[in-house]
Amino acid sequence: MKAIDCKNVSVTLGGYEVLKGIDLEVEVGGWTTIVGPNGAGKSTLIRATGGIIKSSGNIKIIDKNVQDLKHRELAKFVAVVSQKPIIPMGMRVMDYVLLGRISHLGFFESEGERDVETVVLSLESLDASHLSDRFVGTLSGGEKQRVVVARALAQSSPVLLLDEPTTALDMGHQQETLELINQLRVERNLTVLATMHDLTLAGRYSEHLAMLVGGKIVAEGSAEEVLTESLVSSHYGARVKVIDDKDGPIVVPLPS
Amino acid sequence: MIASTNDKNCVVKPVALNKLQLCLAVIAVLITAFAGLVFGPADLGMRAVIQELLNRLPLVDFDSGLSSRQQAILFEIRLPRVVLGLLVGSMLATAGGAYQGVFRNPLADPYLLGVAAGAGFGATLAIVSGIGDGLGFLDPVPLAAFAGALIAVALTYTVGSGRGRLDQVTSLVLAGVAVASFFTAVQTFVQQRESETIRQVYFFVLGQLRTAGWDEVTLLAPYTLICITVIFLARRHLDVLTVGDEEAGSLGLNVRRMRLVIVVAASLGTAASVAVSGLIGFVGVIVPHAIRLIFGSSYRVIIPLTIFFGGAFLVIADLVARLILQPAEIPIGVVTAFLGAPFFVVVLRTAWKN
Amino acid sequence: MKFFFSQPDFKGGGIMKFSSYLLLILGAFSLVNLSCSSGAFDGQVPISGGSSGVEIAERIISLSPTATEILFAIEAGGQVVAVDDQSNFPDEAPMTPLSGYTPNIESIAEYQPDLVVASYDPGDLVGGLEALEVATLLQPAASSMEDTYVQINELGALTGRQSEASELIESIKSDLDEIASKKIGKGLTYYHEIDNTLYSPTSKTFLGKLYSLLGLSNIADPAIESGFGWPQLSAEFIIDADPDLIFLGNTDWGESVETVAARPGWGSLTAVEKGQVISVDTDTSGRWGPRVVDFLIFVRSAIEKILG
Repeated sequence: MKAIDCKNVSVTLGGYEVLKGIDLEVEVGGWTTIVGPNGAGKSTLIRATGGIIKSSGNIKIIDKNVQDLKHRELAKFVAVVSQKPIIPMGMRVMDYVLLGRISHLGFFESEGERDVETVVLSLESLDASHLSDRFVGTLSGGEKQRVVVARALAQSSPVLLLDEPTTALDMGHQQETLELINQLRVERNLTVLATMHDLTLAGRYSEHLAMLVGGKIVAEGSAEEVLTESLVSSHYGARVKVIDDKDGPIVVPLPS
Repeated sequence: MIASTNDKNCVVKPVALNKLQLCLAVIAVLITAFAGLVFGPADLGMRAVIQELLNRLPLVDFDSGLSSRQQAILFEIRLPRVVLGLLVGSMLATAGGAYQGVFRNPLADPYLLGVAAGAGFGATLAIVSGIGDGLGFLDPVPLAAFAGALIAVALTYTVGSGRGRLDQVTSLVLAGVAVASFFTAVQTFVQQRESETIRQVYFFVLGQLRTAGWDEVTLLAPYTLICITVIFLARRHLDVLTVGDEEAGSLGLNVRRMRLVIVVAASLGTAASVAVSGLIGFVGVIVPHAIRLIFGSSYRVIIPLTIFFGGAFLVIADLVARLILQPAEIPIGVVTAFLGAPFFVVVLRTAWKN
Repeated sequence: MKFFFSQPDFKGGGIMKFSSYLLLILGAFSLVNLSCSSGAFDGQVPISGGSSGVEIAERIISLSPTATEILFAIEAGGQVVAVDDQSNFPDEAPMTPLSGYTPNIESIAEYQPDLVVASYDPGDLVGGLEALEVATLLQPAASSMEDTYVQINELGALTGRQSEASELIESIKSDLDEIASKKIGKGLTYYHEIDNTLYSPTSKTFLGKLYSLLGLSNIADPAIESGFGWPQLSAEFIIDADPDLIFLGNTDWGESVETVAARPGWGSLTAVEKGQVISVDTDTSGRWGPRVVDFLIFVRSAIEKILG
């Protein structure tokens, strides 16, 4: 059984076919990152997999059909971090991350001690505990992003869908966050499907890469297989040099 | 710095209504209700009023010195009026808060989806057709207003709730504008043709808490209680909606269903209030928003407080309406409007400062 | 800010009054003086439009029920071709569907009038008729009997019935003097209700002045200081004031002695307990023509019955 199993998934937005018959599989406990140029449909794939937008084809998460599941059920299995999360005014970080727990509560229930504890641990692991009492709207870009990831982690779901989870973070925090997610993945057997801009980072932290261009997957495999100079330069329309390193390929853009 | 979970003092508590805020709210209601009973164009005297109120308890018997007429004023005019003010104010403010949460707009009011226009249209039709004249005691105006309000909201929801290119919030608001314009236009047309009844129509439109006896209270109480309870229970979910429909959905909330439940409760309660006391404006916007500015943005705090402060606010507004130009009464909608205008200025200035 | 609210004909006269209220309350500073003529008649009639000098009008349209009554009382009925849908007195007046509140200029013109008499000017009626070269006379609601006498004289002048007009005025004056001489209502208080929204005229209004002729005191008068001529009273104020007499001018709209007595809290009023709630005719209490005498005679006999 795969953690994520997409078969022939297509999405049409505003009359335009953004995703064209995608087949994608992620093993339980695996980490696949989707890379590709702007407009390829990466965010759309994440949103479709998370059941946020309608798609044709078949999407299964831990063997359940995403299209059939109710919101609450789905949220227990999948947590989504969007690229541009909406930041509510006047809400503190503690309450914002606590929102991640709603799928575990009944209509009449309020959060209990266990929920608060989960949130505290989640914030701790992202080095954001000191932000608990701050208003989310007053945080810096990087702090916001960590808090959003914390919320997803608080959901305690086995599958994480991350859309550009580290774009606003500085190098140090980028590495820290991705390390943490990786650690949790190993500890808790989480499955991660992410999209990333930074090809090198993508190669380092994922087990598996898929390159999405124009709504289709044009290459799939390990980092060494996908991050080649010919593939990258032809699909990104950029000149790059790929340096082999024991930890994974390093992709360097070359000045023209 | 990493806070240890073993150190309980470092853990920030989730937002919740605290006892002090609740006490303040209850005290506000008690004070305003008391003021509403003591003061008025007829001068009854504070001590006499207290004595009469205490006389209602068993085994207590004071001689307050009030004549039977004055007692009638206290118990048959002022008391039901204060209770009605608490019910209507509470319902409108809570519905306003609910709408603000459900539409993610701090300036939403309970008349947003066409409730006002529908009720006004229903009431106008009833007044103008004169169907009530032959029926004696049965007043068709509240029933017609109620029906009109519900029809308008149902229409708005049907038109605005499709899964189109617009998100549900925008599409409902636009549908509400369209429905309201339509009903207002028809109402104005009917009203203009029947010039004899214009005064009665305006009377309805300006809003009134004039009641004598408990009829209106009995009519309104069940709706108010049920609707406020539903909104109260759903307050936590209003906080979830602040992150937008998409995220709220992926967090596990059935957004469309929750929105429907809350809108139905808020609209039903508002329609009942409008049926009984006409279109009293500004309560539904001012009270929840003021509470937000003073006490915080979470609906767990706002909703319970609007229940109390909404009632207190309207009772005070009614007192002003009765006293300020006595013995004449100003329509209560005018008082709330007078309070509403400077309020909006305050809101703007606070927004600019931020 | 003192406003004079001369009361136009009631059956539907609410529009002007209501808009005036809203203006007051919203702090607008427009002074609405509905009484444009006061003081004695000087022979000049303020007509708008028409070819210069209307001699004697033979084809009059009256859009004012009061003007209709006056015209027939000065025996100019034969010169009237059409009256509006509210002009129900006298019987022989030629009632038509024309409206004094939403007048349609073309329908009016169809009757080929040489004079149109109205008590308001909605939708620029006067301007419209001027454009069609029809003479119009505006006779707004009177604020006192003096205004009524001026209006009678104006209509007399325009119909060639000056002597009938003078006779009518004399007759009204002597009737009113006779009624006022005994001040039969002295020492009694009253409240006049025009509908169940509790709007009431003070003694500064035309109607209030009529009641004053009988010596009655109006409970709504304290509102005069706040600038109201027609305040909306609160129920508790009325109950507290406990008027000796309650006059209902709104029985056409479903109110009656019984419904008033049934209002919670009102059962304790003296007027209700002693059967001193009196329905008055909406027409005679709402117009300012010759039938004010009929109205006062009715009220006087009601008071006499009560005093025993």
